[in-house]
Amino acid sequence: MKKWIVVLLLIAGASVLVFGAPKITWLSTQFRPIEEAQWVRQTLLPPFTQDTGVDVTFIGSEYAPFVDRLLAEAKAGKGTIDVVAGLQGDFADTFSAMSDVSDIAVGGTISPGIMKLGQMGAIQAYIPMMQATYLMAVNKKALAYLPEGADIWSLTYDQLLAWAKNIYDKTGEQKLGIPAGPGSLLARFIHGYLYPAFTGYQVIKFDSPEAVTMWKFMKELWQYVNPAAPTWDSMDTPLLSGDVWIAWDHTARLKQAFVEQLDDFIAIPSPAGPAGRGFITVMAGLGIPKTSPNREDAAKLIKYLTSPAAQVAILQGVGFFPVAEEAAGAVPSGALQILAKGVTAQASSPDAIASFIPGGIGNEYKKIYTDTFTKFVIQGKLVDIQYLLDQGRALREMYLKAGVSYPAPDNK
Amino acid sequence: MNNYKLQRLLGTDTLLPYWLLLPSFLYLLVFFMSPLVNAIGLAFRTDNGVFTMQYFLQLFHDLNFGSALKYTFLLVAIIVPVQLVTALVIALLVNTGFKGSRFFLYICTIPLGIADLAAGLIWLSIFAQHGYLNSALYSLGVINKPIYFISYHNISFVFWAIVIAEHWRATAIVLVNLVAGLQMISKDYLEAAEVLGARPWQRLRYVILPLLKPAIQSALIIRTILAIQMFAVVIALGGQLVPVLAGESYFWYSLYRSYHMAATYAVLLMALSIIITWFYMWFFRPKAGMVER
Repeated sequence: MKKWIVVLLLIAGASVLVFGAPKITWLSTQFRPIEEAQWVRQTLLPPFTQDTGVDVTFIGSEYAPFVDRLLAEAKAGKGTIDVVAGLQGDFADTFSAMSDVSDIAVGGTISPGIMKLGQMGAIQAYIPMMQATYLMAVNKKALAYLPEGADIWSLTYDQLLAWAKNIYDKTGEQKLGIPAGPGSLLARFIHGYLYPAFTGYQVIKFDSPEAVTMWKFMKELWQYVNPAAPTWDSMDTPLLSGDVWIAWDHTARLKQAFVEQLDDFIAIPSPAGPAGRGFITVMAGLGIPKTSPNREDAAKLIKYLTSPAAQVAILQGVGFFPVAEEAAGAVPSGALQILAKGVTAQASSPDAIASFIPGGIGNEYKKIYTDTFTKFVIQGKLVDIQYLLDQGRALREMYLKAGVSYPAPDNK
Repeated sequence: MNNYKLQRLLGTDTLLPYWLLLPSFLYLLVFFMSPLVNAIGLAFRTDNGVFTMQYFLQLFHDLNFGSALKYTFLLVAIIVPVQLVTALVIALLVNTGFKGSRFFLYICTIPLGIADLAAGLIWLSIFAQHGYLNSALYSLGVINKPIYFISYHNISFVFWAIVIAEHWRATAIVLVNLVAGLQMISKDYLEAAEVLGARPWQRLRYVILPLLKPAIQSALIIRTILAIQMFAVVIALGGQLVPVLAGESYFWYSLYRSYHMAATYAVLLMALSIIITWFYMWFFRPKAGMVER
């Protein structure tokens, strides 16, 4: 008799464990590096599980398997993923697998302008979660070499060149850093920063005379870029080791430098070219696949992640900036405050040209930009108009074939 | 179930081997043949299923194709022979059975357990601007500021760094093959040769090497095919400064998201692997008049 009671109790206990706590699966192209995924599981999610009793399995995924998996689940009509996080472009590529999330409640106030970015076709494909951008990090040692008349808060590309040259002339070292490794964000630098700054567009004037000027400038600037640049995927390490003093990269890929040596670095806006100060605004959001097995609990997670508390936690944890208005004012002090100052200065500069990451045309377009860079800048070939024209035609064909309009600033 | 019943179930004794082979055949069919056929399909057919050569044309016009082909062949041509010689020397040394030879063999095979990407990163930390090599040279007073070993100014150094790293990493697999082959050689042959007055060099040239041929052949096939497909070490050390075919296939899949182009590079690699394997089989074929063991 006693035996039976024990067995029954065990079964009851096990069923609470198995059926008691609802479980949802969160697939994400964001927070993918191991430290970040660890942080999501150990810091970001526990308060949510405590409040709602919903267990979340977080799966970080690369872009390619992310897209494959969501499209396959949509095709099968049966899903295992409850909620997804991705960049604007990730959603553009998986748009057909996503449900309309306009009915989902948000945990903070998201401005209509930002919310509108998540609208694709007739539906709200995602709810904005966090934003990031790319800017420059500067070691304070470099400030002594700043050319006369240059203001770091409104630097131009010509001044950047003079600055890097000045450092090289006086120290004999190439202290400028541009990430150009295979896993780097070099393509973003070219299509979202250089092209808009020099030509005012990222696609339309790919092969214009202004672009020729730009590539010639870049070849000149490259003389002062640290020659190990083609092996670097992110700039925090070379900044910390002192290999470079001035570096351009994504905020998340610069953050570690500020965290480890807060007093050594400042964050400043990217330079301006003849057409203006080109920069990219990156938007990451949360969506629910059509095949989500548990839409209700997925909605709870979205509400939590867009709440001011979670938004500040995300900024503190991974350096992505809030979208909820309540959180934006509550930026904590330290490394993030310095970064946030740079981000705000860049976004609010009077000559700003905001660019978007192209969506819905796959990723092959990146090769057009990086191949051109490799040929003209790294391999040092002459700036060849015919090559530019060929590449420009191939680039525009990609948009035409995908039936996608050019992203900002080209659609102004 | 007794033997008789089993025989009735499976058919005759002659059918038994085929039954035993069936699981591995099915495995190969599902996990090797079907992706292979798919890859060929992706390389030669558009999304609408129409036969096309456009991906191969695009491949030949790809900015990196020429240099990827060049570097892949150069790496194979340098690494494989050097590895064979190194492995042969170590294997012969181990085979003398000197005191501690087992331990020596274990040490030499350690890199077998290290993933290729990890091996590449280990060597990157040696050659980096503030890496071990520069630190060592600096503390010895040889240099007064770091040398940029890995840089686009000095691609040939990056190339040799890859050769060194790959030599360190993958010689062990050749070594294991050769040690196994050496241990298969009966001592009788060597004793006979010694009795007949063969010097050590002659024993190596006329007894050991001919008997080791099958082991050398399989080691060469495995090593060459793996070397053709090499890319993690290359990427860790040189990014895309030294492009290789397998790396391009990977980038077309992961960075640029074109299955077709990735498959086209993969099909090219497959063709090269088949040609090279065929060449080795032909080269090492038993020649007329030779006595097979």
